[in-house]
Amino acid sequence: MLTWPKPRGGPQYSACHFCDTLHEAFPLPEGSAARCVRCGAVLYQNRPASLVRATAFSLAALFLMALVHIFPFLTMDAATLRRNLTLVGAATALIEEDAPILGVSIVLFTVITPLMLAGGMIYVCAPLMIGRTAPGAFGVAKWMYRCEPWNMVEVFLLGVLVSLLKLAKVADVHFGIGFWAFGGVMLCMAAAVAGIDREELWDRLEVAKT
Amino acid sequence: MSAPYPKAAGQGLAACDTCAKVSPVLLGRCPRCGSPLHLRKAASIQNTMALMIGAIALYIPSHLLPIMTVVELGDVTHNTIIGGMMRFWNTGAYPIAIVIFAASILIPLLKIVALSWLCAAAAGWTHPSPTMLGRIYGFTELLGRWSMVDIFVVGILVSLVQLGNYMTITPGPGALAFAGVVMLTMLAALSFEPRLLWDRLDELPAEPSPHTTKPTS
Ligand SMILES: [Zn+2]
Ligand SMILES: [Zn+2]
Repeated sequence: MLTWPKPRGGPQYSACHFCDTLHEAFPLPEGSAARCVRCGAVLYQNRPASLVRATAFSLAALFLMALVHIFPFLTMDAATLRRNLTLVGAATALIEEDAPILGVSIVLFTVITPLMLAGGMIYVCAPLMIGRTAPGAFGVAKWMYRCEPWNMVEVFLLGVLVSLLKLAKVADVHFGIGFWAFGGVMLCMAAAVAGIDREELWDRLEVAKT
Repeated sequence: MSAPYPKAAGQGLAACDTCAKVSPVLLGRCPRCGSPLHLRKAASIQNTMALMIGAIALYIPSHLLPIMTVVELGDVTHNTIIGGMMRFWNTGAYPIAIVIFAASILIPLLKIVALSWLCAAAAGWTHPSPTMLGRIYGFTELLGRWSMVDIFVVGILVSLVQLGNYMTITPGPGALAFAGVVMLTMLAALSFEPRLLWDRLDELPAEPSPHTTKPTS
């Protein structure tokens, strides 16, 4: 597997995103990080096996996401009724109860953003393994990083725990496969995003295109 | 005073917000990804403050209005965020009460205070240590999302607790206001420009500090 290639044409620079100090961007050995000389913020990191890691963890996250939509998060038995909780179910319940903005934001932050992140990562990184770019890969990468702060998988998991405690005295509530699968989505997404440095991904895209 | 560290902006270079490539700002657009280039985010202090004023305006109704309404055997109770937290506390569920207190009450308030202080420093009104400000900025970016937990809880309870005459839960207006607080504070943190903090520091007149004013004897 190729190590991080640098685009041609003169020295490459890196400016600290926090204090704007200009550095010459030297290649790094795998597993180490370059830090800003002034403020100490991380400039870029060379992750080992970055493309394979990002692709593999994103694939795992996509697979677990499918499970999340098939199996319930929680199952509640109250009196003679049994109710199941799914992400889409929670969103449609809010939309039906005249809170469409809340319903849409649940779908955005827990379904669409993780899907964009994992799907985008695979779409961009898998062709890069053979040194190619998929059509529109630059646009996909741009949107992928724009989505990143709005990914709230772990916050939803905390919400499920709080709900379980709230309902425990009213009814019999159990965790379902969906809950554990979503926990897996959280771990895989974190590993995929941390698997490849943003500058490395863009450098690879630039090199593959020319 | 000559800056001890070269700045990208000082040489007319800008790092792309999207792909981090450093290119001359005169190009207008990043040669790699096509995003607009700028030395500093435009009007970041005004944008951050405007979004925060919106967040403060919604913070009060978000705690006064009910986030959900519970109908249990014909009895209607309106639940506020603070009420829900108090119920956990009174039943002895201290850890969960503390989690709700942190996520719903403390984090939004801390975020508003921290961002106001960062804006004041970016505008040059105060000059605290940038390293500490960096930690505060990282904290506001990291913790803000956790406040959404209450909105998710409302969604989950509304979806699960539809038990006909026995018990139903419907969302209240406080939930919408609170979702507004969380999203506005997140947008405010994203529109803040941390590089301004260091620009203000470099504008300071050279103070007598141990490593810059060594007399040559
Ligand atoms: Zn720096
Ligand atoms: Zn760019």
